[in-house]
Amino acid sequence: MDFLATTETMIAAWHGITPPNDAARRMAADLANTIRAFEAARDQMRFEDEPSSFEAALQETKE
Amino acid sequence: MSTLADLSLVEAADAVARREATSAELLAACLARLDAVNPQINATIWVDREAAHEAAAAADKAVQAGARLGRLHGVPLAHKDMYYQAGRPCTCGSAIRRDFVPTVTCTVIERLAAAGAYSFAGLNMAEFAQNPTGHNRAFGDCHNPWSLPYITGGSSSGSGAAVACAATYASLGSDTGGSIRLPASACGVTGIKPTQTRVSRYGVMPLSFSADNVGPLARSARDCARILSVIAGHDPRDPTSAREPVADYEAALDGDLRGLRVGVPTNALVTLADAPVLVAFEAALSVLAARGATIVRLELPLMDAITAYVGVLSRVEAAAIHARWMRERPQDYAVHLSARLYAGYAVPGAYYVEALAQRGPILKRFARDVFGQCDVLASPTIPTCLPTLAETDIDHGPPGTEQKFMAVSVNTRPFNYLGLPTTSQPCGFDPNGLPIGLQLAGRPFAEARVLKLADAYQRDTSWHTLRPPAVVGEAPMVTA
Repeated sequence: MDFLATTETMIAAWHGITPPNDAARRMAADLANTIRAFEAARDQMRFEDEPSSFEAALQETKE
Repeated sequence: MSTLADLSLVEAADAVARREATSAELLAACLARLDAVNPQINATIWVDREAAHEAAAAADKAVQAGARLGRLHGVPLAHKDMYYQAGRPCTCGSAIRRDFVPTVTCTVIERLAAAGAYSFAGLNMAEFAQNPTGHNRAFGDCHNPWSLPYITGGSSSGSGAAVACAATYASLGSDTGGSIRLPASACGVTGIKPTQTRVSRYGVMPLSFSADNVGPLARSARDCARILSVIAGHDPRDPTSAREPVADYEAALDGDLRGLRVGVPTNALVTLADAPVLVAFEAALSVLAARGATIVRLELPLMDAITAYVGVLSRVEAAAIHARWMRERPQDYAVHLSARLYAGYAVPGAYYVEALAQRGPILKRFARDVFGQCDVLASPTIPTCLPTLAETDIDHGPPGTEQKFMAVSVNTRPFNYLGLPTTSQPCGFDPNGLPIGLQLAGRPFAEARVLKLADAYQRDTSWHTLRPPAVVGEAPMVTA
């Protein structure tokens, strides 16, 4: 099964949503680029990292 | 013809306070300007004239009674139609919420009211604040007042167009990926996206709770400073809002740039610029340098990761918010919106958490590498000459239109991921006569500093004082 078909199947199974139009299919297919972008950034996340660190970073890096 | 509508926000507020103009006169001037330009630009979704006249009369009565006046007393304003006001329509620019009437009023509208301002219209916007162009299927596209076939920028499209035409003294927009800065750039006005958490979002339509920001579009940096001073600050009803003290942003505008370092990226943002945009941008840097700033060329770190992560954050959060309507009534969304939402459902949760968790470490690295070398980072707001509505119309355009659509916000999105305060102010025109924007970003909570630079720039330039042809009556705007 190709990437787009797999993606459509997964979205239908997990969310009950089908592609509303061709543009949606094209944007879903473009998620392959998102995967490549995440692959390029892979392994930067450390075991202790968590989302709340952002608010702390805002304070830490302010003027 | 210049009228009271052409006063700046600060001038209008000061005129009321000094009894040189009444609020009723300001309102009449704004409504007259709106009536003159709106048939062409389509900047409004609703106008409440009766309530506005009542508010103006009450404001004038308070002046006559010698009441203590707020910093915006008697100033009529119109906002993007996503700010809840109890009992008033709030369409969010959508067919789905066409008849929605909230029962609460958002904090920022309450704060503006406490300062003496009142609202007279809900302005056009991208459907659910989710496009960078100004397309709107439910209420009609908003048109750029400098040339009608061109985009206004989005999603605060009506805010940019109405402020540019001086049909309102300022307007609240919202910015999740550039939605204040893009229309500010495309329409030739000034806007600021504050630091993430700086302004309360209580009672404001959500798009992406990690990246949504409330901020003003106005005629100048000084006008933005006054609005921001009024709306910023912690709000118990929005636990995500920061407890950081609010500066008097207007007081920081002294025009003195000596000792300040302005960073210019050598590997991103600027490198994407079309030649006319680059010329205007470099000229703007020269103005800042002449005022005493030092220009520092530097490399931005981690831009590929930032681009990847910011795309996932807002896409997934928007998809989650809209899931029920995407299941039950997907046909009620514009094609470009349902298409973007749809892809959000396929992003794995682990990717989403990674994007969130990397935000803090990346901000720290960015601040160390960039703000260790400069005080403010400069770039073009939109790197290309402005595209037309037709060129970016995913709903009716050929495959590939998505790339042109997304390219509009390529320079603004990174600053939403980083949460940094970022302005856009006009710095010239492209060969088609459309405005070009200068984007300035600073450290977290450095709103005073970026506004100071923006104001200093505007002391030596006149781009922000110009009005579109339809307003000054020089030449007819091009029709599509």
